[in-house]
Amino acid sequence: MSLRLLAILAGIAALYTLPLCGFSEYVMTVAVVACVFAVLSCGLNLVYGYGGLLSLAQVAFWGIGAYTAGLMAMDLKWNPWATLPFAGLLAATVGVFVAYASLRLSRHSFAIVSLVFALLMQLVARDWVGLTRGALGLPGLPQLAIGGYVFDSAARFFWPMLSFTLVSLALLYRLMHSRIGRTLLAIRQNEPLAQSHGVDALAHRLLVIGVSAGLSGIAGGMFVFQLTIVDPSIMDFYYTESMLIMVIVGGPGSFWGVLGASAVFTVLPEALRLTPELRMVLYGVVLVAAMLTVPAGFGGILAKRRENRWRTQLA
Amino acid sequence: MNTTYLLQLVINGLVIGAFYALLAMGLSLIFGVLEIVNFAHGEFYMLGAMAAFFLLSHVQLGYWPMVAAVTVMGAGVGWLFHRLLLGGMAGRNFERSLLLTLGLGMVLQNGALYLFTATPKLARTEYGMQAVVIADMRVTLMRLFALAWAALAFVLLYLVLYRTRIGQAMRAVAENREAALVVGIRPERVARLAVVIGIALCALSGAALAPIYTVTPTMGLIFAFKAFAIVVIGGFGSIGGAAIAALALGVVEALLGGYLSLILADGVAFVAMILVLLFRPLGLFGTGVRV
Repeated sequence: MSLRLLAILAGIAALYTLPLCGFSEYVMTVAVVACVFAVLSCGLNLVYGYGGLLSLAQVAFWGIGAYTAGLMAMDLKWNPWATLPFAGLLAATVGVFVAYASLRLSRHSFAIVSLVFALLMQLVARDWVGLTRGALGLPGLPQLAIGGYVFDSAARFFWPMLSFTLVSLALLYRLMHSRIGRTLLAIRQNEPLAQSHGVDALAHRLLVIGVSAGLSGIAGGMFVFQLTIVDPSIMDFYYTESMLIMVIVGGPGSFWGVLGASAVFTVLPEALRLTPELRMVLYGVVLVAAMLTVPAGFGGILAKRRENRWRTQLA
Repeated sequence: MNTTYLLQLVINGLVIGAFYALLAMGLSLIFGVLEIVNFAHGEFYMLGAMAAFFLLSHVQLGYWPMVAAVTVMGAGVGWLFHRLLLGGMAGRNFERSLLLTLGLGMVLQNGALYLFTATPKLARTEYGMQAVVIADMRVTLMRLFALAWAALAFVLLYLVLYRTRIGQAMRAVAENREAALVVGIRPERVARLAVVIGIALCALSGAALAPIYTVTPTMGLIFAFKAFAIVVIGGFGSIGGAAIAALALGVVEALLGGYLSLILADGVAFVAMILVLLFRPLGLFGTGVRV
């Protein structure tokens, strides 16, 4: 086990030296986006893979965080760092509220309500010109800085983004492998049985929604200070579909599977140089094909093989 | 306050509400019979509008044959949709079917974006902007005809559901799957018809509204978003509830958009849905069938 820990630590150290290797700005931008998607997809993995809630609103939480940070930095002239907790807090609060309302019916209505909410947020970003400036967005946002050191390039921005990503992933990993994670799995397998043991299913679900929405919100807030603009495209369905593909192909409930898939599906479309529309078409096809053939994803296949190996060893 | 303006808004609201209703009723029907929420529903509406645009501008078909042709094509697409994708999913894993239809929706929407670009298109019919004047109000023929199509669809759907054996079977499956199986109803046939009707209604809505609004690849998702909210407001699987909620929403949206602001019109469906979930989770007309 310590060998694995050593490998992880070595990997993290290697990641931190990435900006020093002289890669182009484009490559470092892809690396930053990979970090963002790692947080988003692992957050969705907590909600869907453990909580059993198919949330299509993650993009809305991420967008709420982005707009909150952008507006506070722009209109209230706050330091960009100081806006991030509020970005996370607002996203988490909204997430918990929407989840509370929709879970009164069932976890299925949650899926529908989350989609409607994500679409509503698209409209709010575009049409509520008084607050969000509409389609023009907020250009000219400040950049993150520590002392006099400004994170003004993708290579420099990679450090704070990576740090936040690692903290988030560690938190998600701990949560998934804690008592709460196991309780969530129990609820997912048999809700009435879990409840008869005194488990509060609703509270556990609201907790994971809140955590993942909060992390997505902070990620969104950080990311706009790299883009230096926030506009309605931050609410684009593209993010939802990317997250879903990463979680579905990686295998819901499989931490490393989803993490790997998020890296693959960030780099692969860039390497293939697909236009955004074709990328979405391809993702859609993958989603449909996965649902028809391997609904448990890559992680599911691995888990099945491991299970079979145990069976043959025991027999 | 100007009464003509008010009435004008109400009529516009009724037209849009009638088509929210057609979409929401199709969704509700498919959900009731197959226990599948069709997230690609709006994209079929978009395809219907696209097909209408091409038949009008490239094939030079007249308005009436065009609407009929698009509706029949919609029924055919519905048959294929059931045959190829939904058939094996009925009543099984809810998330799986949901992701399947979501993936299909993304393929259709982005495929259309790639092939036809995001430029809005205007579908012109031989009636152009002709209008009739009723008590100071100018109502375009296209809106009147659209309303007539919607009314026809309502009546036909009602007749199929309540006056035919297969309609009765459909309602039976929606009410209780196992019991319907026990009395010898074949769920495959019933499910196929439900999907065919649902998608044909989408295509009809697209064809009837294409000459009134502009046609774009992204029109489906925003339209369907209202239909989802309506299904929740009206109560899952309640077809009548969906129709009433849809008409009400159409009028309220038109009034809010006309007198106050666009964003309020956009948001009212969501706010109504959340309020219904908080205070009457089974929907205004829900029968207590839990999803």
